[in-house]
Amino acid sequence: MVHLNSELLAGQALGQDDALDAEQQDHLAGCPQCRAELDEYLRVVTLSQETEAPAALVPAMDRIWRSIQSEVSTSASAEPEQPVQTLSADSMAPAVGTEDTASTESGGQPIRGRRRKWWAVVAAAAALGLIVGAGGIVIINRNRVEVAASIPLTALPGHTGHGTAELLRARDDPELRVSVEAPLPQDRYREVWLINSDGKRMYSLGVLPATGSGTYPLPGLLGDGLEGFTIVDVSIEPYDGNPQHSRDSQVRGTLPE
Amino acid sequence: MTEGDPADTEMTRPPVEWRNATDADLAAGFADGDDACLEESFQRWGSLIYTIAYRALDSSSEAEDITQQVFVGAWQARANYRESKGSLPGWLVGIARHRIADRQRARGRDLRLVRAVTSDANVQVKQEPLATLIDRLVLADELQRLPDPRGVILRMAFWEGQSYSQIAAELELPLGTVKSHSRRGLRQLRARLEEVTSWST
Repeated sequence: MVHLNSELLAGQALGQDDALDAEQQDHLAGCPQCRAELDEYLRVVTLSQETEAPAALVPAMDRIWRSIQSEVSTSASAEPEQPVQTLSADSMAPAVGTEDTASTESGGQPIRGRRRKWWAVVAAAAALGLIVGAGGIVIINRNRVEVAASIPLTALPGHTGHGTAELLRARDDPELRVSVEAPLPQDRYREVWLINSDGKRMYSLGVLPATGSGTYPLPGLLGDGLEGFTIVDVSIEPYDGNPQHSRDSQVRGTLPE
Repeated sequence: MTEGDPADTEMTRPPVEWRNATDADLAAGFADGDDACLEESFQRWGSLIYTIAYRALDSSSEAEDITQQVFVGAWQARANYRESKGSLPGWLVGIARHRIADRQRARGRDLRLVRAVTSDANVQVKQEPLATLIDRLVLADELQRLPDPRGVILRMAFWEGQSYSQIAAELELPLGTVKSHSRRGLRQLRARLEEVTSWST
């Protein structure tokens, strides 16, 4: 079957009532690919609506530019510093250090030829990651992802289905990878939550894509532990614009503290 | 590509009008070490980087510091920039993301998530992940860059909550034109978000 074109899906996400006819609606209901694209448009709409125009920042900008200029000009004659070390998470840093040591011996310019081959491999891997799909990207693009915990998600009374949640420790923020196999009504979406074991506090990690799996960065301020936010909860939410938990949980599991 | 002495490159600036350059051309000039490209890049994306850092860290002095580090760091590591890996703003945002995450971890002890939490189970915690914050601010930035009438239509729709017919009346444009601009604008926003955040995912 022919997929819906992006124009139609964008119109649907923008709430343009005339965007889809009945047949197109039917296709959308049964097509994960079109659903996923629609979900992305919906996310862009929601995020855009939530954010106000940033205020003008002209005075600070002038000051910052002067600092950049002076720092760049004082280091211009010196050899390039070790490239930004925090970039190691995206797999470029390990090769960079050795190359730059070599480059200083040949007059300050980096040796491009030798690095290119290495880079072709990385680029190919990155391209592959994008093809594999939403679930695969994170794993392939990050070198040192370690699964710190993996738990089953089980259906709550009145629901069927199951899933898994994995706590990933990358070099930077910890992430939670959630995968659910369970029926979903056409007019609903799923949302992933972390609930505190005190039963009083909860935190929305975000919408679970129609594919049933997603990876979510955990708040950077959470520290090394989970601070009691150990219950992984997947809820079924109506498209009602209410950001709070629907109180209709489909599957759930508990991470080790 | 210039392979000569860095001092030569600085003195003989290429006769290119960077202000009107595409992002891709600017990125190529940046990687080649043309310092006019550093300035133009700062003009284009400095305020985005600053805003991300400011919103994430809630401190103007730390945000200034991060912004400076991002551009100086990118400039010093410019030989590592690869177009095949993503756009220049994507690279800058990626560097900022790591710097901010470092800073947040450093202060983590004082600013536990728990602090922002109320005891009411119905209230969501507002502390959002850095990745989401970045997505929101990249979109807000892009919304201001979209050419009119597309830009103004989407800003009226998203930020002022106006209906398409209200927008059509105010801008004196046919309703169908307003709707089609908004659809194309939304597709542009999605593509741009993908481009700018793909380094960090």
